Amino acid sequence: MSTSAAEPLLALSNVNTFYGQAQVHFDLSITVGRGHIVCLLGGNASGKSTTMKIILGLVKPRSGEVMFDGASLIGLTTPQIVRRGIASVPEARRLFADMSVRENILMGAFVRNDRGAVAQDLDKMLTLFPKLGQRLSQRAGSLSGGEQQMVAMARALMSRPRLIVMDEPTMGLSPLYVDRVLELIRTINQEGVSVFMVEQNASLALEIAHEAYVLQTGRIVLSGAARTLKDDPRVRDAYLGGSEAA
Amino acid sequence: MSSWLDYTINGLIVGNVYALVAVGLALIFGVSRLINFAQGSIYLVGAYIGWVAVVQLHTPLPLTIIFVAVAAALVGLIIERFGLRPLQNSVRIAPLLATIGISFVLDQLVMLTFSPNPRALPSQLPDIRFQIGGGTIGPLDLLIAGVGISSALLLFVFLRYTKLGWAVRAASQDRDAAMQMGVDVNRVNQTVFGIAAALGGVSGLLVGMYYNQIDTAMSLQATLKGVVAEVVGGAGNVPGAVIGSLLLGLVESYGVAVFGTSYRNLFAFLLLVVVLVLRPNGLFASARQAPPEPLTGTFIAPSRPVRIPRWALAVAVAAFAILPLLPVSFYILQTLINAWLLGMLALSLTLVAGTIGQVSLGHAALLAIGAYTSALLSLTLNIPVGLAIVAGGLMSAALGTILISPSFRLRGHYVSIATLAIGEIVSLVILNWESVTRGPIGISGIPPLSLFGYDLISPASVYWFAYAVMVVLALLQSRLLGSHLGRSFRAIRDDDIAARAYGLSLNRYKSLAFIFGGFAAGISGGIAAHLYSYINHETFNTQQSILALTVVILGGLGNVVGAIVGAVALVGLPEMFRIAAEYRILIYGIVLLLLVRFRPQGLLGTI
Repeated sequence: MSTSAAEPLLALSNVNTFYGQAQVHFDLSITVGRGHIVCLLGGNASGKSTTMKIILGLVKPRSGEVMFDGASLIGLTTPQIVRRGIASVPEARRLFADMSVRENILMGAFVRNDRGAVAQDLDKMLTLFPKLGQRLSQRAGSLSGGEQQMVAMARALMSRPRLIVMDEPTMGLSPLYVDRVLELIRTINQEGVSVFMVEQNASLALEIAHEAYVLQTGRIVLSGAARTLKDDPRVRDAYLGGSEAA
Repeated sequence: MSSWLDYTINGLIVGNVYALVAVGLALIFGVSRLINFAQGSIYLVGAYIGWVAVVQLHTPLPLTIIFVAVAAALVGLIIERFGLRPLQNSVRIAPLLATIGISFVLDQLVMLTFSPNPRALPSQLPDIRFQIGGGTIGPLDLLIAGVGISSALLLFVFLRYTKLGWAVRAASQDRDAAMQMGVDVNRVNQTVFGIAAALGGVSGLLVGMYYNQIDTAMSLQATLKGVVAEVVGGAGNVPGAVIGSLLLGLVESYGVAVFGTSYRNLFAFLLLVVVLVLRPNGLFASARQAPPEPLTGTFIAPSRPVRIPRWALAVAVAAFAILPLLPVSFYILQTLINAWLLGMLALSLTLVAGTIGQVSLGHAALLAIGAYTSALLSLTLNIPVGLAIVAGGLMSAALGTILISPSFRLRGHYVSIATLAIGEIVSLVILNWESVTRGPIGISGIPPLSLFGYDLISPASVYWFAYAVMVVLALLQSRLLGSHLGRSFRAIRDDDIAARAYGLSLNRYKSLAFIFGGFAAGISGGIAAHLYSYINHETFNTQQSILALTVVILGGLGNVVGAIVGAVALVGLPEMFRIAAEYRILIYGIVLLLLVRFRPQGLLGTI
């Protein structure tokens, strides 16, 4: 674990976002330390997915700063941000349904120009996600939800990112695949990639995260080490109790 | 007498030409979900650039083709950069309207530069025919087939094996996800527009050589045929567009063989309507995809309508009512009569396109139905003109609604395509149904307007008649929009799925809107017929449909007062400034472009 003295990899500070008249974020500040898994928890319409879009440059904040590795991301286009080393696993996977699994994974390396190394990385993905080996020439749209999630993760890794942002990576998956995905996130992280994930399923997310933030209608109401938040009665009440703790 | 083999060869050759247009449309639709109505204009530009190259620069054939491709691609890039890219975050209807505006501007520019008279575009190949089986084939046929096949191959290689080709495919399947892979979507758009324009331009050149003649009417025809072929093949599906084009070429060619040349287009549009009704995703639809963003409320520009105080409206209505009593010229009355007639059409369209969100591009057909009904009833059955006009309105309401009803299940741009096709079909039926409509000769000697036995001959009486009818229709429509019916209409426009979930029957409400709108348009057409005393199948054409749409957008979609203000502005202002007729269409196109870009909600705001 890196020390707190080190500069964070990603830092959002005092971000205010609007959709027309409606304010989505109120002075949002989040940091992702190098090598960490950071999780953003929150219910529906809390502004979680918009946070992802801010990082990726898909939505522009009205004010505030987004720093990645010491440089501002504000004003950059999404492709430029991707080139800086941020990859994404979008909500509901968003694979290129009519392209083959192989083409989907290689699309992840779109920003790279080193063909040889890309081919090696493709082989590496197949060891990391062995199931995809037999599926390479299949249409991505024909895979099951869990398999699609594997493709989406492999695709994100292909750009050799320093940070992967994931929007609800376990949503809609069978319990078996949920465990598998969490395990993979841990593996990816151990190879040095930082992870910022948005999740509704707090108990699962807090299992693997180092730090976590709780977002409520656009404001951070709680933050800290995942371990402590897990036992925090407020998080328990809001997310872990009742029906949420499936 | 040509053999069947000849018709087959001809169908395949023409199909190849359509394919060059349709493939471009499919590429653009794939990446931007946009039906590019300017595609035919690029084809037109290609034909004229080809003419310049062949006739004035005397370039050899290979150079001519390259020259045309490059120049057309340049036009495509300019359209993408300045016409469409600024609209990226605009409402969904904006780019569609922009391409319509661009096509008007391009067509008119070509017409102003080269005059509307047809020009001969000589084929640069020897005029010989080879015998094969029972048919013949010439070098130009082979060239067209060769260009078609090699373009398809090149495109396949590009999409399958190049990085930019992958980007195009990825962006066409999921634009946002492609951006998150680092794909520069602007560059993809540019590429696609450049390729589409190059193919379209070459297609125009080849067609010009094939028929030995080019004229400015080619543009709309090419857009229509390309759209038909593309939709038949499945919008956005590139191989589908090729097969759809060949199919269209064959259907047309065989149709001509059996029924004659004037049926050619009828078959094209019937094929389109049949495919839209039976398989709206085309014959070779690619996998269903989720719409990228929720569609709620994104169709027309949301805005707060400009409030006009009641007394101001009353004063304006009264002022126009007493206008003929003042010493105004005959010319002004004439102009305003035209404005009132257009105003009725705009009322109809603002209800259909604005209030319930079905952007019709074939609204002139409703005029034609009303006009022919009223003219024929008064002429052949001696029915009083006043009554005949009402009958025209009713016929337009009934027939218009029945004709459009198969497309009720369609959404968004598809509605526009279907209405465009239905409009063309109406005009083609009028042309071909000679026993009733007198075909290409048209109907002459239509009795003048009259009411209760009194002929309305003086300009003032015609003015009052048209004005009164329009005001009554406007009042009725305002009442309608204020009622719960109007609310239901708007609910369907803003989110048809939610509206259905609340128990609104989409078909019933769409029918009601088209019945009311059809009536208003039919009345307008009926009055026009008696005013003009002569009509034919071209009196009410697509240009008028587009003019009406521009009026409605200028006034603010769904806005009753806006529709009339828009009509007065677009008919009156060009008259006031004495702008020559040939520049008017150009101005309408520019107005449409500027509106879409800078004031999509129109002058008075959408309702």
